[in-house]
Amino acid sequence: MQTLYQPHDSFLHRLNPLSKLLVALPQMALMLLASEPWTPLAFVTLISLTLLVLGRVKLGRFLRLLGPLLMLVLLFTALYPFLVRQSLVADTPLLWALGPVKLYQGGLYIALVTGVRILGVLISSLPFSLTTDSADFVRALVQQARLPYRIGYSTLAAFRFIPMLQSEMSVVHAAHRVRGVDSQPGWRGKLEQLRRSAVPLLTTAIRQAERTALAMDARAFGAHSHRTYFRRMRFGHWDWVYLLGYWALGALILLGLRSLGLLGPLHVLQIL
Amino acid sequence: MPIIEIRALTVKYARRKLAALNQLTLDVQQGETVLLLGPSGSGKSTLALTLNGLLPQAVGELREGQVRVTGLDTQEHSVADLAQQVGILFQDPDAQFATLKVEDEIVFGLENLGHDPAGMDARIQQVLTDVGVLALRDRPVSALSGGEKQRVALASLLAMQPEILVFDEPTANLDSMGTQQVFALMAELKSRGKHTLVLIEHKLDELMHLIDRVIVLDPQGGILADGPPRQVFDEQGQALQELGVWMPQVAVLAHALRRRGVELVLFPITLGEAVRAFRPWVASATPAAQQPARTSQATPALEVKQLSFAYGHLQALQDISIKINQGDFLAIVGANGAGKTTLAKHLMGILPPPAGSIALHGEEFTSIPAKQLARRIGYAFQNPEHQFVTETVWDEVAYGLRVMQEPEDIIARKTQELLETFGLWRYAKANPFTLSYGEKRRLSVASMLALGQDVLILDEPTFGQDERNATALLDILRGLNQQGKTVIVITHDMRLVLENANRVVAMSAGKVLFDGAPAELAGMPQLLSDARLTLPPLARLSALLATEHPHLRNVLTMTDYIALSQ
Repeated sequence: MQTLYQPHDSFLHRLNPLSKLLVALPQMALMLLASEPWTPLAFVTLISLTLLVLGRVKLGRFLRLLGPLLMLVLLFTALYPFLVRQSLVADTPLLWALGPVKLYQGGLYIALVTGVRILGVLISSLPFSLTTDSADFVRALVQQARLPYRIGYSTLAAFRFIPMLQSEMSVVHAAHRVRGVDSQPGWRGKLEQLRRSAVPLLTTAIRQAERTALAMDARAFGAHSHRTYFRRMRFGHWDWVYLLGYWALGALILLGLRSLGLLGPLHVLQIL
Repeated sequence: MPIIEIRALTVKYARRKLAALNQLTLDVQQGETVLLLGPSGSGKSTLALTLNGLLPQAVGELREGQVRVTGLDTQEHSVADLAQQVGILFQDPDAQFATLKVEDEIVFGLENLGHDPAGMDARIQQVLTDVGVLALRDRPVSALSGGEKQRVALASLLAMQPEILVFDEPTANLDSMGTQQVFALMAELKSRGKHTLVLIEHKLDELMHLIDRVIVLDPQGGILADGPPRQVFDEQGQALQELGVWMPQVAVLAHALRRRGVELVLFPITLGEAVRAFRPWVASATPAAQQPARTSQATPALEVKQLSFAYGHLQALQDISIKINQGDFLAIVGANGAGKTTLAKHLMGILPPPAGSIALHGEEFTSIPAKQLARRIGYAFQNPEHQFVTETVWDEVAYGLRVMQEPEDIIARKTQELLETFGLWRYAKANPFTLSYGEKRRLSVASMLALGQDVLILDEPTFGQDERNATALLDILRGLNQQGKTVIVITHDMRLVLENANRVVAMSAGKVLFDGAPAELAGMPQLLSDARLTLPPLARLSALLATEHPHLRNVLTMTDYIALSQ
């Protein structure tokens, strides 16, 4: 499957996928809950440095990834002030107005905050997704997080179906076009198109799944409740160093922001 | 004690009336190499699945009888135990991987069996070296070629050190390069003598020297013939051909010549033997009068001018120029990834060609509306299922006519005609997806022809079919061609090319390497190897015989040989 992962040797690549996940998940939550731009901005900086230094992600690649995210955030910031409930911001200075459309300073501020929070959430996952092989992730889930191996490995096998189904889908559409199938406008036409391509796609998927299942059974998959692992995943001291070090640094950042009076209360989206 | 013992085995699948295997009794001795043959649906793959207990433990129903491998009863021992005795290499290289990387794939079975990880590294080294792909150890499986995938899949079986290896049509989805790789591996395994091999294959001529014994299943799931290959093909040849069972081409030729009163010093089953067997006759046979080369009309049906195309960074077509004349039976050949299908997709407008690069009967391609195009060019995809859009065989053929808003009575008449021509009339009310593979293929061609298109493009029309279905389809295509339709076939089957096409375009890495008569291409060994093509057995036989008898140089097909005997 097409993932963001690129094989490389770096501190982040060598870590257990779970330690990277345990850094990313609470961080995402923090980004969601922040109510001012400074916390997300500080963490975006921290994540960027982590990626570039510890993950040895090339600056060019990082910028190429960041570009579209920034565009998204800008677009959001441009539209959001007009969607905010006006009563929330009507007491702030009016910056611009055209008839009923009004741009308040408060609205713009909320839009900016939300924009950087979204950016923060999006790039929080990068240290994990750019440096983690999906097979290693499954191994770590099975070996450390005690996910039943039958589920983990079946998921891994299913991963390989996604690109197959994607290419199958485009061939089916082409084949139907050649037959002179007109796509009818509207949801009725869409539904009809979906039904038509669903049958050949399902046929292929089921046949493929049966074959894969047989081939896996033929190599003793699921025969015993335990299996051994050639690649043993470990949650080693470097994982603890990363996990605890990252959060110690995170706590320092939060303390620093508070002493500067920049840390706001944490709450879920309440603006719309 | 035989290594495989099958006693009165009867197997049934749910929702099928007939037994897949019926009262089958069979012994295989340790170290034997057995070729398992039979018409499609005779239970070859079913038999393979019974050997490691997948049947009945994962699929199917074992009604009666017993299967023992290395003394273990397959109903009493788990598939996991049996996996260490029997390894099965399946047909579809993409469907048999469980993980994403070569190394993971090799240890997958060992891990499942609970082997000590400490010994695994050496085992990986060993089996990857054995199949000759040690360099691929760290690759993702998705980056491998078809032949490499089958080698890795075999290595993953060898890791569990089975005594018996079963090959269930492992080359069916491969091009000739991949096929050669797998055959070389079979020969290597045979020469090491450590395994008992059971092969299910239909490209036989290159394998016959490895085979000790041939077992032929009949359509009812019993045994039709069992014995040394020469004896089976000699004595049962007629019956096998009637059932549509693949035979070595040289054996088919020997039967054909015998029927015409030619006496042979021995009945050949390999190329080498065929040279000895046919030499005396060839020396006395008079060369047939050269058939005047079939000429197509010089009016181009399709003209491609300097067409280039890239998928992202990958240059798929480079500066292709071809004139396809009206009435041509043109074959586009080349290895996987040579650009054949990409070119064909441009000819149908599935990939839009740049303005000025393709003309249909002199008309600029991009100015023809899509609906018009469908009326003038028919395209059959490699997998017929992709094209089905309705729920009955009848509707499937009528569909195109309805789209063109033909009157109902014409639709009814044309549909019936086509269904009869293609032998599908009795399935008119069936759902297309319930047909057999050969029938699906015929239906996809029939439904493509409904509009009376005069250019037909077919992607791998004989792929995955048995001898009889493949021949039947090609007979229909030749008939259409003789009526003046232009037929374009994408294939890597050189036998199909030599027997049917009047022109061949050989492609490699997005370029046209050759454009001309098939016989001419057959005489260019360097070009064939550049395009990664191999000649069919009879053409290779002629090349061997032609060193002494130059008049054989243009004898390339069964028909050519038979013409020689008259």
